[in-house]
Amino acid sequence: MKSILRLSVAAATSLLVGVATLTPAFAEDITVRFGFAQVGVGNRQFGSGNSAAIAHAQGLVEAEFKDDPGVKIDWSFFKGAGPAVNEALANDQIDFALHGDLPAIVGRSNGLKTKIVAANGLRANIYLAVLPNSGIERIEDLKGRKIAQFRGTNLQLATDKVLAAHGLTERDVRFISMDFATATAALASGDIDGAFGQADYLGLEKQGVARVIYSTKGDDPAFTRHSHVHVTEKFEQAHPEVVARVVKVLVKAAAWASDESNRDAVFETWAKSGIPAETFRADYEGQALKLRNTPLIDDFLISAYRDQAERAKQYRLLRGEVSIDDWFEPKYVDRAIKELGLEGYWKRYDAHGVAEVAGR
Amino acid sequence: MTNLDLDRVAFEAAVAERYRLSGRRFGARAGAGVAKRAGTIAAALIFPASLFLVWQVASLFDLVPAQILPDPRLVLATFREFYDTGDLAFHARISLLRVLQGFALGAGAGLLLGIAMGLSRRVREFVEPLFLALAQVPALGWIPLVMLLVGIDEALKVIIIAKAALIPVTINTSRGILNVPRSYREVGEVLTFGRWQTLTRILAPASVPTVFTGIRYGLTNAWLALVAVELLASSEGLGYLMVWGRQLFQLDLVIMAMIVVGVIGFLLDWSLGLVERRLQRWEAAGS
Repeated sequence: MKSILRLSVAAATSLLVGVATLTPAFAEDITVRFGFAQVGVGNRQFGSGNSAAIAHAQGLVEAEFKDDPGVKIDWSFFKGAGPAVNEALANDQIDFALHGDLPAIVGRSNGLKTKIVAANGLRANIYLAVLPNSGIERIEDLKGRKIAQFRGTNLQLATDKVLAAHGLTERDVRFISMDFATATAALASGDIDGAFGQADYLGLEKQGVARVIYSTKGDDPAFTRHSHVHVTEKFEQAHPEVVARVVKVLVKAAAWASDESNRDAVFETWAKSGIPAETFRADYEGQALKLRNTPLIDDFLISAYRDQAERAKQYRLLRGEVSIDDWFEPKYVDRAIKELGLEGYWKRYDAHGVAEVAGR
Repeated sequence: MTNLDLDRVAFEAAVAERYRLSGRRFGARAGAGVAKRAGTIAAALIFPASLFLVWQVASLFDLVPAQILPDPRLVLATFREFYDTGDLAFHARISLLRVLQGFALGAGAGLLLGIAMGLSRRVREFVEPLFLALAQVPALGWIPLVMLLVGIDEALKVIIIAKAALIPVTINTSRGILNVPRSYREVGEVLTFGRWQTLTRILAPASVPTVFTGIRYGLTNAWLALVAVELLASSEGLGYLMVWGRQLFQLDLVIMAMIVVGVIGFLLDWSLGLVERRLQRWEAAGS
């Protein structure tokens, strides 16, 4: 009886193995796990403000791998934003991370091994919303006030830069760490004097809950923050072809999101996150989509990250040395641009943000 | 001197003797030699030391990712840095102040409520069921409600901490009084003690150990609640340091704060233990 059972198990196993080897492309099953350092309003499973969010919302990655049944795609959206994505990377829970500059630099300084394979939402603004009766009119007025901030996200670094430009440091302000949803609630209940956050504070202004008294929009572009896609070195070494195909999808999404004729469609897609399209319209007003949705890894991006790392150290947001140099792996983006015939579509910028001569 | 007076003296002497004996026993142990005490300390250190060893080995051999469990030496370096810059003293002072305020409030109210519940059957019948039901709601469950009432400033922290201390102090005080052996009270009755004398001469000394267990437990609870409220809404304090460490992926900072919280908590409990012993000895010496 036992031997019959064993025999049938063996037969079933060999049959399964046989079927598995017949499937093309990927003999082994893999799950490509993406982790977003953002989540939509009310925990909606959508991102916004970058081309990876477009690729996700339109199912472009799933479409790319639809003929490879062995490849599964998995998306996670972290309410804890960038810091939570670092924890997920350290725990080997995700392969690709859609991450902001500061948390990724913090992760790298702690020994997380990844490669940046594409830019994913650059020059994002921060907004300062204050209670209408707080008496805060300028950045300087923040001294000693109770202000919410989402610690450890790339907003913190941008905030610190803005403060420094106005002669303040983090110690001058009573910062309370809150995620975006909590900060909005705390503003509404009047528990805090103000909050540094994203463009959705424009909506609070419309509701009369708060006034936006400052944003980096129209100020020094060096105060803006950047995001990117990076992949663990382990995954990149094991599945370079998967990485290439994912990046190609991201570049395709970036091209769509950079096309001015899609402006409204892009904002509508991002609005799946629960942030209204008008918010994006206001945030991106007067700015070319290409400028913010470029996937290129150019000198501008690399030197911006180097600068962010230095600032982060200055502000004591990270300790120890962190080397930016061999973090970037532009070959996938460059190859995708060539394959898609998109050469010259996005301008390359030098370290000072000046466009380089076309044709490079 | 009447017969009754003589009896009272005898009774008080007996009580005194009992406490003196326990005091002497303690004194004798202390006198028995430094060697024995050193041995006790060494025994107490075996477990932490081996835990530390496991930690060091785990990080040396990369058994756990360094991002999650940093090297103990890094934690030590972080400690030194925060100590040198005065940041640690700053945050620890604020946390301690919050605990002391909340604890004073909570333990004070708890003692009064506990005494009332211990002495009066009516108070007990009215208050106890509701009190026990409310006691089941953890500190974190109270935070949203209290936050709506008083905002997120110091008042929130002090109230949550006070509530945490109140419960064990109340329960233990009332139990301590209720559990005083019937025979002690009967002796008091025989000696025609008034209410006040019964309370100060019989109930108080006899319930000290139980009441103090409640107070020590209350302090531990207060300290735990502090970290919970500081994690949630604070711009300073040891709990805030943990948030900062987590958000900036500096687990060394988180672990350092954990150790500091643990050590301060231990010291607080230990000094309460000293007070307790002193109090019992005083009761003995005072009669």
